[in-house]
Amino acid sequence: MPNKKEPGDLLQGTLDLLILKSLARGPMHGYSVAEWIHESSQDVLRVEEGALYPALHRLELRGLLSAEWGTSENNRRAKYYALTAAGKKQLAEETEYWRRMSGAVARVLQTA
Amino acid sequence: MPAGWLHNLRLRIKALGKRRQLDRDLDDEVAFHLAMRAEKNRAGGVEGAEAGYAAQRQFGNTTSMKERSREMWTFVSLESLWQDVRYGARLLAKNPGFTVIAILTLALGIGASTAIFSVVNSVLLRPLPFPEPDQLVRVWEANPKRGYVRNVVNPLNFLDWHEQNRSFGPMAAVAGGSANFNHGKAPITVPALAVTPEFFSVLGVAPLLGRTFTDDDGIPGHDERVILTYEFWQEQFGSDPAIVNRPIQVNDAPKLVVGVLPKGFAVPNMKASLWLPFAYTRDSDFAKSGRYLRVVARLKSGVTMTQAQQDMERVAAYTAQVRPDYNSGWGAIVNPMLKDVTSDVRRPLFVLFSAVGFVLLIACANVANLMLMRGVRRSREIAVRTALGAARARVVRQLFVESLMLASAGTIGGIAIANWGLRALLALIPEASHLPRMESIRVDSAVFLFALALAFCTTVLFGLLPALRLSRVNLHDTLKQATTRGGLGGNRTLRQSLVVAEIALALLLSVGAGLLLRSFQRLTAVDLGFHSDHLVSMGVSISRVKYNDPPKQARYLERLLDEIRQTPGVRRASTTDYLPLASELISGSCFAFGTAEPVNSATAPGSQFLIISPGYFDTMGTPLLSGRDFNERDTLKSPSAAIVNQAFVSKYFPNGDALGKQLGVCWSVQNPVQIVGVVADSRQTKLKDAPAPAIYLANTQAPLAGATFVARAAGDPQQVLRSIEIAIHRVDPDQPITEVRTMDSVFSDSASDARFQVVLLVIFAGLAVALAMIGVYGVVSYSVGQRTQEIGVRMAMGAAATSIARMVLREALLLAVLAVVIGLAGAFALTRLMEALLYETTPTDPITLTAAAVAVLLVATLAALIPARRAMQVDPMVALRYE
Repeated sequence: MPNKKEPGDLLQGTLDLLILKSLARGPMHGYSVAEWIHESSQDVLRVEEGALYPALHRLELRGLLSAEWGTSENNRRAKYYALTAAGKKQLAEETEYWRRMSGAVARVLQTA
Repeated sequence: MPAGWLHNLRLRIKALGKRRQLDRDLDDEVAFHLAMRAEKNRAGGVEGAEAGYAAQRQFGNTTSMKERSREMWTFVSLESLWQDVRYGARLLAKNPGFTVIAILTLALGIGASTAIFSVVNSVLLRPLPFPEPDQLVRVWEANPKRGYVRNVVNPLNFLDWHEQNRSFGPMAAVAGGSANFNHGKAPITVPALAVTPEFFSVLGVAPLLGRTFTDDDGIPGHDERVILTYEFWQEQFGSDPAIVNRPIQVNDAPKLVVGVLPKGFAVPNMKASLWLPFAYTRDSDFAKSGRYLRVVARLKSGVTMTQAQQDMERVAAYTAQVRPDYNSGWGAIVNPMLKDVTSDVRRPLFVLFSAVGFVLLIACANVANLMLMRGVRRSREIAVRTALGAARARVVRQLFVESLMLASAGTIGGIAIANWGLRALLALIPEASHLPRMESIRVDSAVFLFALALAFCTTVLFGLLPALRLSRVNLHDTLKQATTRGGLGGNRTLRQSLVVAEIALALLLSVGAGLLLRSFQRLTAVDLGFHSDHLVSMGVSISRVKYNDPPKQARYLERLLDEIRQTPGVRRASTTDYLPLASELISGSCFAFGTAEPVNSATAPGSQFLIISPGYFDTMGTPLLSGRDFNERDTLKSPSAAIVNQAFVSKYFPNGDALGKQLGVCWSVQNPVQIVGVVADSRQTKLKDAPAPAIYLANTQAPLAGATFVARAAGDPQQVLRSIEIAIHRVDPDQPITEVRTMDSVFSDSASDARFQVVLLVIFAGLAVALAMIGVYGVVSYSVGQRTQEIGVRMAMGAAATSIARMVLREALLLAVLAVVIGLAGAFALTRLMEALLYETTPTDPITLTAAAVAVLLVATLAALIPARRAMQVDPMVALRYE
């Protein structure tokens, strides 16, 4: 299931990977995930912030994330997401895949 | 990781019970995000409310996001289906008039179709209740040149068939019809058949108790044995298990019960409570002449019908070769048993089934129209939903779900109607009906499947078309219109086409019913050749033990007749061996003009033979055209006399000089016989069959096999029948009496199948016309409703009310006329299929066609009158303010 790659899933897959990566640093709520993506990708990946939540829920449903409600730094009710074991494994696989993929693309572009 | 989908499902199911919680969580999560973003925006220098708006913009469409998440968490497609169902139910409940009419219409259509289907299924489709039923066949003799297609079989020929065929496993012959059974009380006559030993092996039926027949039972002298049906055993012997190997009295002789058949054992067209062995050899007297056996056989496995047919033709050629004087010109024919026993009812059932199918089609068209008309009122709703983003598929589904709900309700009602209708139908099918396998008619799983299939097909028919049509609304135009009176011009044509189709189908059914009605009228008005009123009859079957030779039997009958004649209320009485219209089996044999040489039965002309007592014609009221009746001077010692009917004279003595001529006859009387009288023709076997040539012989000269008394009553026929019974029992208290009935009831029974067909077809045609009427009414009144404003304007401009009515009626009539043209064309094409059901009526009978067309036009006009009246009463002021 984790390695199911379908054409057209690239963007969704990318978003999933970014979410997993962001959560590798520890549990955080959706807003922080969005902020982290903005900052770490230097605003290159412009994601409509609303699209983040269906992705989070999908990952939760797939068992890659766990979620629980907590209180935020400014004392508001917020939902915190964390990587599960399956999520960590998935992140490792995805990272490896991307590394190989981008390496291959880079080589192709160099030889051209 | 846990199997992903399982985890997924668990979370979803957990969420299922907490829909509200889920919604609140989604709201909270979004709200939290927006608040955080707005805060950051403010920190970045965005002023006041603008910070919140910017956050919202950055987030995107919150509703869509929530929707997507919610879909993920729930079983959305199932839930929305449930939503459709609830929504549909609410709409249907809000519009009870529409709902009730639609469901009722469908229930009637589906119910009637299902009821008729259960008859078709039980009689024609369901396999015979025996193992390997496809191997079962009936075998007949055939002489196509003489018009005998399925003729009963000569006993010697059967023996040849049995020995020489290579196609059949077991093969058996069946004879007889009734037996006298004596069980301590007064003897009764019960249906009984005599069969050759392999009969039960052919059918593959094992006995419940004891055994079936063996070859030994087929040897003359070894045949004093009997097998009982379960029902007879239960009724007469209280299911006594010790009955086997005990003797019972049948035909005044003890017969050993060798077995009891399983419950429900029934062979189509062979009704019997007692099964006796039919024991004979080539030397038996009764085997040599006469054709009277019915033959059943079972194909060897692997043998096809064609092979069996060819094989039997070979065997028949052999019989014709060894007994040419009896068999030349005769062949054999093999029919699958199921097809054979249902051959007479196939066409009538097919016609009824088609008729009821048409009714169902009309019902569908009607409901489709209702849906369309209601749909127009809903076009705004549909447009709004489409504008708000509902997919077309979703709208179609919503409409389709509604149709499916209607169809389901219609089917449930339909099955109830079918159940009730079937009971009514079975009550309508008379005892005398020739419908085989009636005992097996019931609603079974096949019938249920049929009803379900109907439900589905009707949904597609009446639901899908409107759904597709309605979902294709023009958003712009529909939403722009201020009122709910929608445009959808194309629907008008569709609705009108549906109504035209309805009227055309209704006309087709009316023509069918009209043809049958006319045919039935002619059939029952036919000249019987006798007067059935105040004529009564009953049969006696004479004990061959008590009255063991022909003279004794004749004397006994004479005594009975004397006693009957002296009974008060009896004006005349006589005997015959054949009661007109009571049975399809009539004796036929050959004769020869002149007396020089013995009659060659294979080539000689044929005639019906009837044995009657003097005074028979007088009793029946059949006019003697010339010559004399039999009288007491016609005795065994005097030369044999014969009376012939008009058909005989027309065929064989076209010059009318029959009287006084001598004939050689193939009958056990002193030959030759002299024609002493000519009588008018009477109907004999079937009401619709033209009288055939007949030779009457006197019972004083020809031995009588069985006897039926006929008597003309002076008073109440029922009373006279009772008196006659008492009179007979005065002579012999043990004499069983059968078939006690008035001739009027015999006559009525002989028309019962035709009556049954007429009644059903008239009911279906009535239903069809009523439904079509509702259809016309619906379309016209809808169109009047749509045009209220236009009518108002016309009236305000000075149009007379009558001209408005004319306008409305013209629309209806135009549709009706178009439909009548189509319907008549259809009638010309289809009523040919009914030809076999019609008596002296051509399938294109102009009077029937005209009458049906006029009736349908009238009904259509009538249906349009109510809306036309409403149009006349439109108040211009109200109509103009309406907008």
